[in-house]
Amino acid sequence: MDAEITEREYMHSGHVGCPGCGATIAMRFFLKAMGEKTVLVLPACCWSIIAGSYPQSTLKIPVIHAAFETGGATASGVRAALDMLGDTETTVVTWAGDGGTFDIGFQSLSGAVERNEDFLYVCYDNEAYMNTGIQRSSSTPYGAWTTTTPGREWKKMRKKNIVEALVAHRIPYAATASIAFPEDLLRKAEKAKGIKGSRFLHIYASCPTGWRIPSEMSVKIARMAVQTNIFPLYEVEDGLRYTINHKPRGYLVREYFRHQGRFQHLTDRDLDEIQKMVNEDWELLLRKAGERV
Amino acid sequence: MSEAAMQNRLFIPRSCLTTEGNKTGSWRFLRPRYEDKTAPCAAGCPAGEDIPKIEMLTAQGFFKEAWETILQENPFPAVCGRVCFHPCEGSCNRGEYDDSVAVHTLERFLSDTAARYDFRPSFARLPSRKERISVVGAGPAGLAAAWFLTLLGYSCDVFEASPEAGGVLRWGIPAYRLPADALRQDLRRFEREGIRIFTRRPMDRQFFAEAAGRYQAVILACGHGRGQSLSIPGEMEVGVIEGLDFLRMIRASEMAVGGGTEAVIVNGAGCGRSMDTLGEGEAAAEGSEFPGKIGEGALSSFDGLTAVIGGGNTAVDVARSVIRLGGKAVICYRRRRQDMPAFADEVRMALEEGVALEELVSPATAGRDGEEIVLSLRQMIVAGMEGSGRARVIPDGDKMKEVRVRRVIRATGAGPEESWMLPAVEGTKVLALSHCRLVSGEGKLVVVYAGDLANATKSVAHAIASGKEAAIALNALLREGSEAVIPRLQACAVGDGPALSMEVCLGGERRLRSRHIVSYTEINTDHFGFAPRITQPRLLVEERVRSFAEIDLKISAGLAMKEAERCFNCGLCNGCDKCWLYCPDVAVIREGEARRIHYDYCKGCGICVVECPRNAMSLGEGEGEG
Ligand SMILES: Cc1ncc(C[n+]2csc(CCOP(=O)(O)OP(=O)(O)O)c2C)c(N)n1
Ligand code: SF4
Ligand SMILES: [Mg+2]
Repeated sequence: MDAEITEREYMHSGHVGCPGCGATIAMRFFLKAMGEKTVLVLPACCWSIIAGSYPQSTLKIPVIHAAFETGGATASGVRAALDMLGDTETTVVTWAGDGGTFDIGFQSLSGAVERNEDFLYVCYDNEAYMNTGIQRSSSTPYGAWTTTTPGREWKKMRKKNIVEALVAHRIPYAATASIAFPEDLLRKAEKAKGIKGSRFLHIYASCPTGWRIPSEMSVKIARMAVQTNIFPLYEVEDGLRYTINHKPRGYLVREYFRHQGRFQHLTDRDLDEIQKMVNEDWELLLRKAGERV
Repeated sequence: MSEAAMQNRLFIPRSCLTTEGNKTGSWRFLRPRYEDKTAPCAAGCPAGEDIPKIEMLTAQGFFKEAWETILQENPFPAVCGRVCFHPCEGSCNRGEYDDSVAVHTLERFLSDTAARYDFRPSFARLPSRKERISVVGAGPAGLAAAWFLTLLGYSCDVFEASPEAGGVLRWGIPAYRLPADALRQDLRRFEREGIRIFTRRPMDRQFFAEAAGRYQAVILACGHGRGQSLSIPGEMEVGVIEGLDFLRMIRASEMAVGGGTEAVIVNGAGCGRSMDTLGEGEAAAEGSEFPGKIGEGALSSFDGLTAVIGGGNTAVDVARSVIRLGGKAVICYRRRRQDMPAFADEVRMALEEGVALEELVSPATAGRDGEEIVLSLRQMIVAGMEGSGRARVIPDGDKMKEVRVRRVIRATGAGPEESWMLPAVEGTKVLALSHCRLVSGEGKLVVVYAGDLANATKSVAHAIASGKEAAIALNALLREGSEAVIPRLQACAVGDGPALSMEVCLGGERRLRSRHIVSYTEINTDHFGFAPRITQPRLLVEERVRSFAEIDLKISAGLAMKEAERCFNCGLCNGCDKCWLYCPDVAVIREGEARRIHYDYCKGCGICVVECPRNAMSLGEGEGEG
């Protein structure tokens, strides 16, 4: 099955991502699907560093470093410039972290997709502001420790459902993907590439440093997020048609939490509570996908 | 350019170097490396077959290579694909996931495929040596010893009392489990490899004196051909038939019926035993009905009820043969069904075919009443458990039972034909190994007791294991002296042993594998999906009971490949490339079939090791070659 995944690499060795960084795996897979006719807009995030400090670049495609809050706007501008040059081949991609997407870049993203700008926005989600030292974002899940939700002050709010926010804009394509499901990720990237208008891809990307997990468990834990329904794989076309791409066998969330330092303080009661939330979200998704009435 | 233009010019810094100048390998404190390990099935196979490799090659459609991989460790794929009790499947890691891989059925498939396309194998073989070895008994142990000694460069002569080689495979196991053609398929290779088999050559103890001049060693592998008597009053008078003789007679008749030119009387298949009579006391039965008739091919006139005493495979083989001869059979066993040493599957099929089972009875006396034999049975009860897990039984007071039968066949264990075949316990130098016993001394002929004579478990696979151990041990003894035997055997062990690998002995790639036995928890099951195990296709019960036709049927290549794909290939890289796929640092390099880690860039995150579905990689400290 992996034979279908191209050997072509658009990323060099020698980048400075942490050992086991899920965000780098996400990029490697993503670009294999996109190919070289891609321009990347990179608002401030870990990837701004990983991409290399001037005059180095770890990517084989053009990258434009942008201000933290401008992912949507910069991409709109790049698209307009390419259109003026008559370049219809190149795909404009914004590649932003969860902080740059869920929080500070949200206005710019919302504006761009409301205009249905012809670009693909990818949020690689490591569930906190990792590059500046693990501050909570609105993507940080309920129950997590971060440096701004320390000790007993662990985060008591639920993770924002960003895909639903984008779906509410009725964009042509919005989907989730995970570094632990490469075939699914590549297929979605390719599909998004072939669609005109605003597309959104939400990629789950583990962060050994910020999640306090052993680097070798990085992919395994990302996979568990899917297996436990914490991060379901699905896609939504035209803001209406839901497809669930993977039906897990129903692992308990406990398994996923047990392995991560950022959740070690949670009690059995907390975990039961979380299990309920996950079940509730999953049921909701099933209903949207027409698999429950 | 004008000054105005210069002023309006936009300067954008543009990167011009890659990051490959950063040798991020210097961050690493743990080092992943490719390290093939040992699969539990391979260690569980008495013959030490490289099962993960066999299934990997089968899944890829490389049937010849897969078959050669079996042959490297076991010269009997056609036989073992039929009659082995496949302990490999019991230790299969996949058993903990859904259901074990049908290794046995796949072995049968590969041997069928080899026969169909007339594959000629190529082997690793050491150059010829001057020493000559004689082997007494052409059963699985003797033949395996000859085979492996031949690969080690020795020339071997095998002496067999019966008119055809195979030992228990030819004369003891019924044709519905192992047709003569299947056995011959394996035997043909022995001749092609230059092993000389002399049939109709019974040996007596004089042979040692004769052999001393011509051979450096004798491998004694003449099996357990003499059944044990029941030791009950009336046994002689009623003419209790020995089960092994009964089976031998049927197989011999098959020779005649099959249009063979050989003489029919082959009742002394062991070495040293005279060939012309049945055991004492069996004359009555012989005269009354069966051997003559079977000899004439009248296989259907074996009517009436036959009592079969015993609970092992021989008892079940006898009972099922009786059914096929048109008779009825009841197995009388002193313990319970679950305690029977016979393979559970065989017992189940026997019952399906109409064999009756009397549990917890032990024969007390036998007497004749006209045409019938009255067998009185002592009833037993379970009085606890033995260490081996089977029930310990004692008489249930003086409760008795009676059965009226036409004949009684005993299958209550066997021993060697002659006392001199018992392995020596003392001598100048006696080396008791796990499957054989070596006796040597200054200037003396080395004698190796192998097969059933030295094995605790009497199975075909253990006989092959014995032959292999005998060959490796003898080679070490002849080349390096007796001190070298144990270390050499240890060096060839599969996992913790006692299974041995000939490939390792011959210096093949398999010697590079770690001895660590991959456990189920070390398999990354995320990369597998549930898949039902193939069911061995078989003749219908109605067809089975009518003849001695083989019960197990062939499977297609498509089904075989699908089943082989279920194999985790524990501990063996099969080129799935999960390491390459998930590496965040693009540091796994593929060069043709080979994979290599680029240590200049590998940060040692260890994802490749965890994502490897089959534990063919390891993460460790130290910077050794990877
Ligand atoms: C306007 C602005 N505020 C703050 C920063 C500092 N900053 C750089 S990266 C970053 C965190 C980014 O978090 P996220 O988008 O989740 O990406 P990650 O680092 O987790 O990959 C911050 C706060 C900035 N560059 N610009
Ligand atoms: S902090 Fe996390 S996301 Fe950032 S480079 Fe390290 S592992 Fe990757
Ligand atoms: Mg983040």
